[in-house]
Amino acid sequence: MLRKVVGLRAFWLAGALLLIGSRVAWAGASSAPQAMHIMEGFLPPFWAALWFAVAIPFWVLGFARIRRLVAAKPEIRLLLGLAGAFTFVLSALKIPSVTGSSSHPTGTGLGAILFGPLEMAILGTIALLFQALLLAHGGLTTLGANAVSMAIVGPLVAFGIWRSLQGRLPQGWVVFLAAALADLVTYVVTSIQLALAYPDAVSGFLAAFAKFGAIFAVTQIPLAISEGILTVLIFQALRSSAPDELRSLGLQGA
Amino acid sequence: MDWIDRYAYSNRLRFIHPGQKAGLALLAIILCLALNRPAVGVLTTGWMLMLGVIWARVPLRVLGAAVLVEGFLLAWAVVGVAVSVQPGSGGWPLSFAITSQSCATAFNLLTRALGCTSAMAFLAFTTPVVDLLDLGRMLGMPPLLLDLALLIYRFTFALLESLEHMVTAQQVRLGYADFRHGMNSAALVASRLFIETYQRTRRLQVALEGRGYAGDLRVLPGEYRRSWSVWLLAAALASSLLAAWGWV
Repeated sequence: MLRKVVGLRAFWLAGALLLIGSRVAWAGASSAPQAMHIMEGFLPPFWAALWFAVAIPFWVLGFARIRRLVAAKPEIRLLLGLAGAFTFVLSALKIPSVTGSSSHPTGTGLGAILFGPLEMAILGTIALLFQALLLAHGGLTTLGANAVSMAIVGPLVAFGIWRSLQGRLPQGWVVFLAAALADLVTYVVTSIQLALAYPDAVSGFLAAFAKFGAIFAVTQIPLAISEGILTVLIFQALRSSAPDELRSLGLQGA
Repeated sequence: MDWIDRYAYSNRLRFIHPGQKAGLALLAIILCLALNRPAVGVLTTGWMLMLGVIWARVPLRVLGAAVLVEGFLLAWAVVGVAVSVQPGSGGWPLSFAITSQSCATAFNLLTRALGCTSAMAFLAFTTPVVDLLDLGRMLGMPPLLLDLALLIYRFTFALLESLEHMVTAQQVRLGYADFRHGMNSAALVASRLFIETYQRTRRLQVALEGRGYAGDLRVLPGEYRRSWSVWLLAAALASSLLAAWGWV
């Protein structure tokens, strides 16, 4: 009995230290992104390779699309490059979080709506690579897994919502849902990736998924709500101050 | 965002061929993943920090901080591996268990990922992104992709500077005083940044066309030297990791 109590105390103490430690670590790193990436070396070789295999078809499709766009309009090359930089820099913006602290948006939802989901598969992957090289966050062997969750599934979901709900709900709600669900689905896919690689020793994949989901829910669910609100406000501001630019991107209904 | 970039340009290994540095980091990552023992992970972390600090002359404080931040995030994720959950008994909906086996898995994972992370940090702190894009060109990656990456890299810092100026201007006007104002300010800044991005694109377009832009962004390739000590270090690294694997 005593051992159990001591064990529990040690568990809580370790948890509290972790919480404080990660807060301090965040405060110390200038403009560290809070987007959740799988770190270098976290996935066993098999799963790292598998997620690369899943990502490659989307990269091929995305690259073919960019190549087609550039062949039709050469100047789009510059626009795509700067669009990528824009979404990357957006992740350095500090936004107030609904929990009272602050967090950083991922920009995937907004990017998918503005520039298209297949384009984002390429631009987002380059951004992930740069996060690994410029912020030491994320990695090379886990690039496939991170690209699937953040640069492929997230933008696809955002774009799907944007296209399918357009006109059926007020636009503010459509934008909110697109941005917030893009974040949520990124977080869910990452939890699935972790749970598949490290299923619970006793109760298997589902319990592992619940565990990883619970651990990251602390930061990711408030982030999704904040980013949803932020994206709605950005959209309103863009519609009033940059209607010409939006139209030239071919944005329907904006 | 520019703190790692600054060291990447100013460290002592700046002009060593990017392929050699990337190869060394990849060797460490692959060995760490393949050998998969805590001792190997710890040794790799030590090796990479040592190479970064002594060979490349990156301050330990800076390199260590980068690895430590990832380490804390890692520790968060590893908790999920160490604790096992099952339907509980005796009135409790769930019961948690930490077994010595799950702890061992978690510890192994933590050290392995820390080793790989420090290898990545070594690469990031010693090699500028432009050199790695050069390496991509040598390896025959599509030029369009490299052009996009180059544009993203170049304009990240320009846009980041605009962003910082705008945010400072808002902050001194109490733009981030509470949640509502903070959200509005952040949205305003993001939309202005979008417009700025668009205008920059147009200016860049005009400037490039004035200089005969035909669709390709050509830059001179860098001049690198190949270092013999990289081969020696790679051999030493590989043999010491293998020794640690066999010994423990």
